[in-house]
Amino acid sequence: MSPAEKPAPDAAMIRTKDLVKVHHSDGTDVHAIRGIDLLVHPGEFVAVMGPSGSGKSTVLHLLAGLVPATSGEIWLRGSRLSDLTEAERAVLRRRHIGVVFQFFNLISNMSVADNVELPALLAGANPKQARERREYLLEELGLSDRADASPARLSGGQQQRVALARALANEPSLLLADEPTGNLDSTNTRDVVRLLEQVHDQGQTILLVTHDARVASAADRVISLFDGMIVDDADVRPPSDNKNAIGSILDL
Amino acid sequence: MHATIRWIRADLRTRPGQAVLSVSVVAGVVTALILATTMLAGAMDPWKSVFARSHGAHVWIHARPGTNLSSLSDMSGVTGVSGPFQTAVATAVHEGQRAPLELRAMGSELPEVGRPVLAKGRWLDPARPDGVVLERTLARTLRAGVGDSLSVRGLDGRRYDLPVAGIADASDQGPYPSVTPGIAWVLPGVMNSIEPKTASTELLVGLKLSDPSASSFFVQHVVTVLGGDHVDRVSTWQQARASMETDSRLLGLLMGMFGVVALIAAALAIGNATGGRILSLLQDIALLKALGFTPAQIRRMLLLEQTCLGIAGVVAGSVLGSVLTDSSLSQRLFGSVTGVAAAPLSFGRLALIAIATLLAVVVATLLPAWRGSRVSPTSTVTAEPPSGRLSRFARVALLVRLPPALVLGARDAFTRRMRAAITVGGLAIPMVMVTIALGCWSTLDNFEDHPEQIGLAGALVAHPVGLIPYEASAVIAADKDVTAVYPEVQMDALLPGQTRTIQARALGTSKRPYPFPVQEGRMYAKPGEAVAGQGLLDLLQVHVGDRVRLTIGGAPVIVHIVGRTIEPSLSGEVLSFGMDTLDQAVRTTPSPSYRIVLRHGASVETARKRLLSESQDRLDIQAAQNPAQRLFVVRVVIFGLVIVLALICVANLLTAASVGLRDHMRDIVVLRAMGLTPRQVTTTLVSGTSVLALIAVIAGIGGGLAMSTRLIDLQGRTSGVGAGIGRAPSVLELVVAAVVALALAALMAFMLARKATNIDVREVSRF
Repeated sequence: MSPAEKPAPDAAMIRTKDLVKVHHSDGTDVHAIRGIDLLVHPGEFVAVMGPSGSGKSTVLHLLAGLVPATSGEIWLRGSRLSDLTEAERAVLRRRHIGVVFQFFNLISNMSVADNVELPALLAGANPKQARERREYLLEELGLSDRADASPARLSGGQQQRVALARALANEPSLLLADEPTGNLDSTNTRDVVRLLEQVHDQGQTILLVTHDARVASAADRVISLFDGMIVDDADVRPPSDNKNAIGSILDL
Repeated sequence: MHATIRWIRADLRTRPGQAVLSVSVVAGVVTALILATTMLAGAMDPWKSVFARSHGAHVWIHARPGTNLSSLSDMSGVTGVSGPFQTAVATAVHEGQRAPLELRAMGSELPEVGRPVLAKGRWLDPARPDGVVLERTLARTLRAGVGDSLSVRGLDGRRYDLPVAGIADASDQGPYPSVTPGIAWVLPGVMNSIEPKTASTELLVGLKLSDPSASSFFVQHVVTVLGGDHVDRVSTWQQARASMETDSRLLGLLMGMFGVVALIAAALAIGNATGGRILSLLQDIALLKALGFTPAQIRRMLLLEQTCLGIAGVVAGSVLGSVLTDSSLSQRLFGSVTGVAAAPLSFGRLALIAIATLLAVVVATLLPAWRGSRVSPTSTVTAEPPSGRLSRFARVALLVRLPPALVLGARDAFTRRMRAAITVGGLAIPMVMVTIALGCWSTLDNFEDHPEQIGLAGALVAHPVGLIPYEASAVIAADKDVTAVYPEVQMDALLPGQTRTIQARALGTSKRPYPFPVQEGRMYAKPGEAVAGQGLLDLLQVHVGDRVRLTIGGAPVIVHIVGRTIEPSLSGEVLSFGMDTLDQAVRTTPSPSYRIVLRHGASVETARKRLLSESQDRLDIQAAQNPAQRLFVVRVVIFGLVIVLALICVANLLTAASVGLRDHMRDIVVLRAMGLTPRQVTTTLVSGTSVLALIAVIAGIGGGLAMSTRLIDLQGRTSGVGAGIGRAPSVLELVVAAVVALALAALMAFMLARKATNIDVREVSRF
């Protein structure tokens, strides 16, 4: 999505209304999310923070359409998720959403190159286009020489960078990242954050779940969750710095 | 589609072992099925092809000489006539083997209907007027080939040396020596010199019918037209067909059962392999879904991959199976049982096998694929192995202080119940089949070790040649290895209204009956009482205790059937009674032959040779035909199929063990961290698989035992031999089978566990 097509407010990237998620486990109900109303505009970089068990990851899974909500509604780019079938949600994901998890990001039986090319192929690109996009992304991330390696042979930081490349393969308008730096050392963390900032500068909407304040500081907006509810929602950039997407383009 | 193919390619590349396993399982099954069907098809229909090629007649009538047969060709329903040909009885001797012959006089031109099908050599030729053409099974028994000189003796004992001109198949009679006499064709001139007395000859005529199914009714009609006293013997195409089948029906049944069981076991093995594979891919599948694969795409992808592997297996199996069935070895093996060459499978049959196997693959993949497609995309991040609490069984095991590693392993075996059930089923079903196979094996052993239990107490049969009965029995009884001698007369008996002849056999006397193995009722004890084989009871639709009326040697006789015996010859269509019954019924009893019971453990061949020299060659002595000899190939088949089943079991065990291992990768690290020694970790993994194998072995052997004797008896009953032949496998055989299966299971698990205990902790904890 280019910033030039800046949508009207009702064309928000993400909008949720009274979102509730209850997990059933061992016969007891666990209220993971207790009514969240959220609005994310295109081009925003949002960090979701909170202690363990506050429902951060659940929010991300709900937004990606990976799990169904117990009640409440989610609109992604104007489509209501509960109206879509599982297959339609899958198609929505492959076209418009990139997802990065903390662990298990790569398909273990495919090489790094195959992992990065897969989303493009899935979205209907021909193998040549997919290969060109993969070569570009791996080049950008400094992983060109590892293209034929198996994921198991990569370090944690390399795996996360490949995951990021894979998530960006289709130039998704929304990037959802769940603790992408959770198991990385500070050098690797810095690399990943820098990448996210680059991507954001190109106009992509990012929603990042983290418990690391340094990572969150890269975002425009920080939402704090506690016990399944939003307790704080704050713009963290100084006004002069708090650029919208058009500003980013001008910066470039 | 590109994405799907990319994933399948990557998967096949990273797990070639699993792919090879899947392909080999399918290929093994297809090969086994092709072998089974080829043999089954050939074994089931040896008659059909010969009948078609011989333009066979449906009904054959042996009539007394001088009977006017011209009226037969005018009867309505007759579309063709073969003959009449003059026939005479004679004896052939070749390399010490004797065989009763029916000489058939035929011209140098083959008849239009009921023509012998020449297999080797040439047909009778006036240029070589003394030539003889032998029926194929007769030639095989005599070990006579084209060009050999066959010594033939007529009723008067004179000897003629006839060169064998050719070997042919006949569609009107079953294989020699199950059916006697053997058939030999000669020119009319030879016939006249061997049997100059027309009164001692018979006339043979074959009739082709417009409605073959009405042959029984038709025969009745013929007997009425010709007069009962003019008809000596009548046979129908149904009899000929049945007698050709008896040789190989057990084989066919076994092969069929093995084929079906192999298919079921293979479906389970494939299901297990696919299920295990998909289980190992759950995280990847979840991730694929998070990337945007739809459930339908996942299902299609898994199905496509397994179907491709299945097709590869089917192609490999078809090639292997075709090569094996075309090989000269299998042809020889097969030809030795049926006497007819097995035709290679038709394309239709081959396609049927391929499609059935491929369908089994698809069906076996459907459930795991469907379950795979339902994986939650977030299970990537929330993945946890299925938790199993300690079962009551495990708690008891801990209480009685079994080693903890053993208990842990036993518990692990059941954490995935569905898979445990599939594994147990996949092992238990082949074990059932192995037990049944062992039952067949010990039944055959029993045929050989205790021939008296199947009515073959008399290991030798002696026909006096120029010895009066009293002398003959005295010479035989004087031999040191002979414990008993029983006089025997075999005659054809015509069943009124039944339009068929059966064999009536006077053997032993009411006071001193031959040791028939009586399964139901009792032995005959006075004149007028008889025992019968199952085949005869079924044919006449009577039971033990009923009375039947039949015509023996022209005289009507009423016998009281007091018992059922095991009767391995002539499809069990044999009635046996004492010589005294025969003496009362007919005025002149034919001169008897003798059944000789040898001392237990005495060599049959040595005794035969000694008796021959003791009688100065005035006895013709043959060893009794034991069905175990012609069923020898069953053992070969059992052996081969047990190996196929074992391979399927191994495939199944490998999957079970590797799935168990994958489930416990992380556990292993924890267990090691907790302080379990590598050996204890190995024990945990091995006992997990072994517990399942133990359950399967017990269930399989139990099921097999429950079925095996019953199945063999059922087979015995339907083939006319009669129930009571089935023997359970010996305890030793079962123990060996169980130990081998368990050892195999433990070995598979051990090999994988050894690899597992050496894995790098870091590698596991990262995934």
